Amino acid sequence: MVFLARLGAPVRGFLEFLGDQAHLVLRTLRHALLLRMDQLVVVAGQTKLQVRFTGLDALWLISGTALLLGAVTLIQAFSQLSGLGAENYIGALMVLIILRELGPLLTAVLVIGRSSTAIAAELGAMQLNGEVDALATHGVNPYQYLLLPRWLGVLVSVFALMVFFDAVALGGGFLVAKLKYGVTFGFFMDSVRQTLSNRDFVATLLKVILFSGAITFHACHFGLRIRRSQTEIPQAVTKTVVSALVAVFALDGVIAALFYF
Amino acid sequence: MIDLRNLALDVPDGRLLLDGLDLVVPRGGKHLVTGPSGSGKSRLLKVIAGIERPARGTVRVDGRAVWPGDGALALLGQVRMGFAFASGGLLSNLSLRENVTLPLRFQGLEDGQLRARTDEALDHMGLHAVATLRPHAVSAAARKHANLARVLALDPDLILLDDPLEGLDAADRDTALDVIRRWALDSDKTVLLAQEEPGSFVEWASGHLDLRSHFIPLETP
Repeated sequence: MVFLARLGAPVRGFLEFLGDQAHLVLRTLRHALLLRMDQLVVVAGQTKLQVRFTGLDALWLISGTALLLGAVTLIQAFSQLSGLGAENYIGALMVLIILRELGPLLTAVLVIGRSSTAIAAELGAMQLNGEVDALATHGVNPYQYLLLPRWLGVLVSVFALMVFFDAVALGGGFLVAKLKYGVTFGFFMDSVRQTLSNRDFVATLLKVILFSGAITFHACHFGLRIRRSQTEIPQAVTKTVVSALVAVFALDGVIAALFYF
Repeated sequence: MIDLRNLALDVPDGRLLLDGLDLVVPRGGKHLVTGPSGSGKSRLLKVIAGIERPARGTVRVDGRAVWPGDGALALLGQVRMGFAFASGGLLSNLSLRENVTLPLRFQGLEDGQLRARTDEALDHMGLHAVATLRPHAVSAAARKHANLARVLALDPDLILLDDPLEGLDAADRDTALDVIRRWALDSDKTVLLAQEEPGSFVEWASGHLDLRSHFIPLETP
């Protein structure tokens, strides 16, 4: 019995966590539908702030990472496949490695590192300071003012950053291909286009929606659970990062299995 | 307006506060809640506002079930409520003016009306000079006044005041008292004020709940 109880406790905890997440998502959606036009202006303002922090402020970081990743991927590929007509596989390599997998995953990892940590810490501090309570008691719906703009902001940002990441990574790959083999831009893009399919666009879109949801609601869940002391904030941030990373990798695996297996 | 039945609050040390409390405050009633520190005054206000869950019992505000129920969410858009917190409660990333304005924006007030009500409330509480500053940049008294200014601008039907005079000097105290007196004289407003001692509030209170009778002090080892 003790063994079963030990086995059951984490399973129950995990199911409770999933239930909490579903509860947060459904409540946020329900309260989003109740928004009036005049409240929409306030929510839009908050969403803009989130897009600026999560999207715009991360552009340099994303650019550098994507450029290096695109270039390094092709440098490594050429070093292994030289003499085997590596230039013919440029498009396939870029699509398979960067556009399908590493682009969305690394974008999500960077957003988790920068933004989900910030959201968890900010909401935790707001809870401790009684700010969330103050909102609710003065007629400001916390789902509409806190959760919805963060979700929308992260959704828009993750979409924009993924597209940007892929574009810059392709640029990095093209630079290496041009310097090493003198590949033209037209040949490079044709090669990418031939491998890319509609399925890739649908899978990427699905990743944008699911990753941004996982990133935001993990952060909100752990941030809003803080009740007692400041020392809970770093704990919540750590839990957010670990939990969101696991969720993003698991979702990525499920999507890969659904679309490409 | 407020209807509490068989209410009990739990505290982290396992005790139950206010065990079996029944309280009815009619619309327009002015009620005073007094008791020593730790007797559950602030928590009682928070339970009524729907931001803390009681251990037991039911809470209804304006006929709507707060507990058991969705807490403060059940009152959103239904009951106009204002809560002046004893400490904190102001959004730290907004200026005092924005703190006062935000609930009005969510109410859907037009810009002109919104500005007029915000200015009036800030002026009345003597906060105009510091209105553009954030809560951390102003004194504790100004933060306390900003809490009252937010309630004043909102013009709510139900007003919950948690130790509104604590830590204020004589001048600030007079300013706060002036606003509270205005609410006390308004027959449309239901006011619940929590404080350690009744003070001058007994003059206008229509009911008085003394938590001393419900209070079980911590046993010293």
